[in-house]
Amino acid sequence: MDVIGIGLLAVGGYAAIGAVFAAVFLARGVGAIDPAARNSPGRVRLLWAPGVVALWPVMWSRWRSVRKGARS
Amino acid sequence: MTNAYRWVQWNRHKRVYDLWVAGSCAAFLAVFVGVTMATHRPPNDVSPPIILIRAFGVLAIALLHVILLIGPLSRFTDRLAPLLYNRRHLGVTMFLAALAHGALSILFYGGFGVRDPVSAMLRTPGSFASVSGFPFEILGFVALLILFVMAATSHDFWLANLGPRLWKSLHMLVYAAYGLVVMHVALGALQSEPAPVYAWLLGGGVAAVAVAHLAAGLKERRRDASPARALSGWIEVKRARQLEDGAGLVVVCPGGERVAVFRDGDAFSAMSNVCAHQAGPLGEGRIIDGCVTCPWHGYQYDPASGQSPPPHTEKIPTYELRVEGDRLMLSLEARAPGTPIEPARFGGRSAS
Repeated sequence: MDVIGIGLLAVGGYAAIGAVFAAVFLARGVGAIDPAARNSPGRVRLLWAPGVVALWPVMWSRWRSVRKGARS
Repeated sequence: MTNAYRWVQWNRHKRVYDLWVAGSCAAFLAVFVGVTMATHRPPNDVSPPIILIRAFGVLAIALLHVILLIGPLSRFTDRLAPLLYNRRHLGVTMFLAALAHGALSILFYGGFGVRDPVSAMLRTPGSFASVSGFPFEILGFVALLILFVMAATSHDFWLANLGPRLWKSLHMLVYAAYGLVVMHVALGALQSEPAPVYAWLLGGGVAAVAVAHLAAGLKERRRDASPARALSGWIEVKRARQLEDGAGLVVVCPGGERVAVFRDGDAFSAMSNVCAHQAGPLGEGRIIDGCVTCPWHGYQYDPASGQSPPPHTEKIPTYELRVEGDRLMLSLEARAPGTPIEPARFGGRSAS
């Protein structure tokens, strides 16, 4: 596989993981990290979905630290 | 503002702005397509998909130049304030034009083979060592990815949850995207375009962006290099009496802190120059409907207390002002965000 193939595979894999994470996060996690987002309607959450796909490691880290803080 | 997230925070001004942007883009595309078809008669005609690819590409790069020029040029003139306001929508529009250009290119040039279109498009034969044969598509693809991340994180939710520093750093990537777009055009379209006018247009655009940023940077540097002199914790606000009703000015304190001073009728108030939303320069805004209004996105604050009008909850630090004879003096001590302070007046007389 050449460099372009590896690059496209990496981008595709990253986006696929992000899409799965975004579905779970926008349904259950977004209200935990941001109380103002708790009652946000579906179309607003849909607007955030591309950003969650792009930045899922950041949002995953935020969600994890909030959950850790809630447990301790 | 931080009350509850809305899909788009439209108000009358933003709706008019968006209608203008949409109308101007549609008109630009129509004129571009019309002129290209009229000037490329058989046997030199251009197929409709290629005309559309070019039209969206030119629209995207033109909008990118406008976006990059508004910020620095608005330091020199208030006339660009209407464009600066709601610049985010202009950015999303630019991304959609770039996306249309990219998607049409991928489908037209890569959609008829056995490979998937993206892969086929990016594997167009060429050499990184050659100017005329450089695989410029890769540059455009990377630029589009950057613009996607920026457009996807343009909602207020992202500013609140990424924090101003990370959000701003992310959106400064527009300069990386701009560099890639310029190279994409220079190594792509310009290589097959015999007329020099397009090269001049691109070169002129790059020069304008560079000169505007340099000039704005020098202006800021000059202002920061000559802070007002402090006397027992107070400094004089120069030119206060020449301030127009509803206008603001920026005072640079000895420590480098910037304070915005506003005149509302004969009352003068002072607050931090940094908007709580995206750190916009409040002192370059105006008082609209009794509130200091940020020139970047229209966030508003009560001039006397630095608080956003209910139900919004943003607060910024306020500063005390007092009149000494003919001089307006500013305290260097910032009060806690949202602290109400009685406005200063020139002995009951009109300030002008």
